[in-house]
Amino acid sequence: MIAGWESLPSALAAHLAISAAALALALLVATPLVLLMPGRPWLRRTVMGLASVVQTVPALALLALFFPLLVLLRNLTGLPVPSLGLLPSLLALALYALLPLLRGGAGGLAAVPDSVRDAARAIGMSPAQRLFHVELSLAAPVVMGGVRTAAVWTIGAATLATMVGQESLGDLIFAGLQLQDWKQVLLGCVAAAALALIVDGALGWCQAGIAQRRWAPAAKGLALLALLSLGVTGWWLHSRPATTAKPVLIGTKTFSEQYILAELIAADLRHDGIATGVRSGLGSGIAFKSLAAGGIDISIDYTGTLWTQALERNDVVPRAMMLPILTRELKARYGVTVAARLGFENAYALAMRRADSDRLGVRSISDLARVSGKLRLATDLEFLSRSEWAALRQAYGLEFASARAFTPVLMVAALKDGSADVITAYSSDGALAGADIVLLTDDRAALPAYDALLLVAPGRDDLVRQLARYDGRISVEAMRVANWQADRPEGKRSPVEAAQWLARQTGLQP
Amino acid sequence: MVARPPVAPQPDLALALSGVTLALGGHPVLAGIDLAVPQGQFVALVGASGAGKSSLLRLINRMLEPDAGQLRVHGADTARADPMQLRRGIGYAVQGGGLFPHWTVADNIAAVPWLLGWDKPRRMARAAELMAMLELPPKLADRFPGELSGGQASRVGLARALAVSPRLLLLDEPFGALDPDTRDELGDRLLALHRAQGLTTVLVTHDLADALLRADLMVVLDGGRIVACGPPAQVAADPHPAVQNLVATPLAQARALSEMAQRA
Repeated sequence: MIAGWESLPSALAAHLAISAAALALALLVATPLVLLMPGRPWLRRTVMGLASVVQTVPALALLALFFPLLVLLRNLTGLPVPSLGLLPSLLALALYALLPLLRGGAGGLAAVPDSVRDAARAIGMSPAQRLFHVELSLAAPVVMGGVRTAAVWTIGAATLATMVGQESLGDLIFAGLQLQDWKQVLLGCVAAAALALIVDGALGWCQAGIAQRRWAPAAKGLALLALLSLGVTGWWLHSRPATTAKPVLIGTKTFSEQYILAELIAADLRHDGIATGVRSGLGSGIAFKSLAAGGIDISIDYTGTLWTQALERNDVVPRAMMLPILTRELKARYGVTVAARLGFENAYALAMRRADSDRLGVRSISDLARVSGKLRLATDLEFLSRSEWAALRQAYGLEFASARAFTPVLMVAALKDGSADVITAYSSDGALAGADIVLLTDDRAALPAYDALLLVAPGRDDLVRQLARYDGRISVEAMRVANWQADRPEGKRSPVEAAQWLARQTGLQP
Repeated sequence: MVARPPVAPQPDLALALSGVTLALGGHPVLAGIDLAVPQGQFVALVGASGAGKSSLLRLINRMLEPDAGQLRVHGADTARADPMQLRRGIGYAVQGGGLFPHWTVADNIAAVPWLLGWDKPRRMARAAELMAMLELPPKLADRFPGELSGGQASRVGLARALAVSPRLLLLDEPFGALDPDTRDELGDRLLALHRAQGLTTVLVTHDLADALLRADLMVVLDGGRIVACGPPAQVAADPHPAVQNLVATPLAQARALSEMAQRA
């Protein structure tokens, strides 16, 4: 069975629901605007201009922009406005659907011939009769064309809602991309495409029915939409675990270690009779914010990351001091509890090819600073804007010939094929286990420690007790191997399988 | 010569306009129009393009509102009528028919009956009756306007205008884009219907022969004013330059043709 299959019904249902809700919201906004446009060219210009500008913003950025916007709104109004999950997804997707709806509506109405409008008035139709029986009826095929485009776009863009913590088919795609599990990526893509095609086809029948003033095709289209909704809902309900309790949600960021640990914990909790769910593929900062807001119940995070992102501190303190400060501050500021220190570190490190390291005599970052001007750096997507990079440059005076950001899974490949000479690596990265790569020591202790922690959302002290037994149980070697099982190009294992291996290995098997 | 309407309402007048003035977008279109049309008359409204013919027609069913003056239809002040009720009671047809492209021929013809709430069998029966009256093949009833020839579309437009047997018919160049033979044939058909049903008809036309040969009353508009009004033979003799501009060519052609016919 393809990995991700078991989460497909739920993702499909969530995807359909969020798309339908966003489309409905967009229709609610677009309809009055379109009806007000005839005879008001300034309104038409303003609205269409704004909608076009929105369309130029990439969908992902639009989704991300709603986070600070909603946080601002919450701070200004004092209302408990959720800034992650459903609300930002709904707003961003609705905004994105607006342009095709407005174009279809305005274009359709503008295309009604003046002679026909005139005749409708001259035979004594009321304004409402003219609008519904003549203008909208004539515009309907074009209007429905806009609705179809909007529906297809929304279903496509909804895959990105995963990034702000809204469940969707994007969960499969992003998890698959990270794990390089192309079957899972394909499953997510095919499901989204099938959804879009079915909805487009159903709306196409509705469009034909309206255009020909015939009920049969329109009824066929509506029936197909109803069938789709019922089918997806039914499958989801059928596949849901029998428990009625709200499942404990474990959030993961977008890399294998997180998926594996989430599966490990999920299996463990299930064994204790607790219903669990995994919200995968959250952005690095989003995961913690989601946890603090109670959107997820458990997350795996790292001391160094929390230090800079949650506590917003730039100073480097000894490892021994970091955990007590974090434990105290996270509780005080966010109500988040540190339930366990897992025992391994996933630190940022700089790495290079063993051959280069030997040839240039580079063992530490201090050594690297001597020769770095001739070398090319490849980093993950966020490193160059993180405080760790600033700290490294300050401590060692590092300057590279060039610095480029890569998707994390491609960094080791970039090093191997010579596209880069130095990369940012993570100390628990499985690829390091297999490759001829040297991690350079941070001899001036410029980088903070990145001990992996289990965090629990405010008000879930029951989980804190459950998770306490993970403390110190996972070694960096075991984690590396488990990561490599999920990341390696051949003989790849699913996160569930890697989690099972890890559980056996560390004696955590339920 | 201009027919002056009396101030008091006269029920035997189908139309009575007094002092009707209209400006559109700041430009004067009609100035001080006085006109009285007895019931049963076939009125041809002629004049150069932009003389205000269509605007005058559209004032009668309140598609336009006058800036000054009064209009009475069958004695009743139109300003006091509900515009929608007024329009439903006045037949109106335009060039090309102005048909609803998404409605069948039968539905187009029965549009006003539908607005008046007739049930479907009655509407369809009436549509069939009108199609027969205008010599439209019954098989066209379920077709859409896009499938009709120009002449057929014009007939459907006329049938729609006649659907609830109005007493007043307003026609704005209804046969404008048709070939001369079809135009002539439809002109005769219209005149026959007009006589048979005792209608009052106001026809805006560019076709002077049409106006001169068929109208009871010919009204010539120039620059927003009525410059001649009366029986066609009388109007044709009017020395006003705008009138002569209009009638000189068709009359000269007619004379030449008539001489040719005599020689033959």
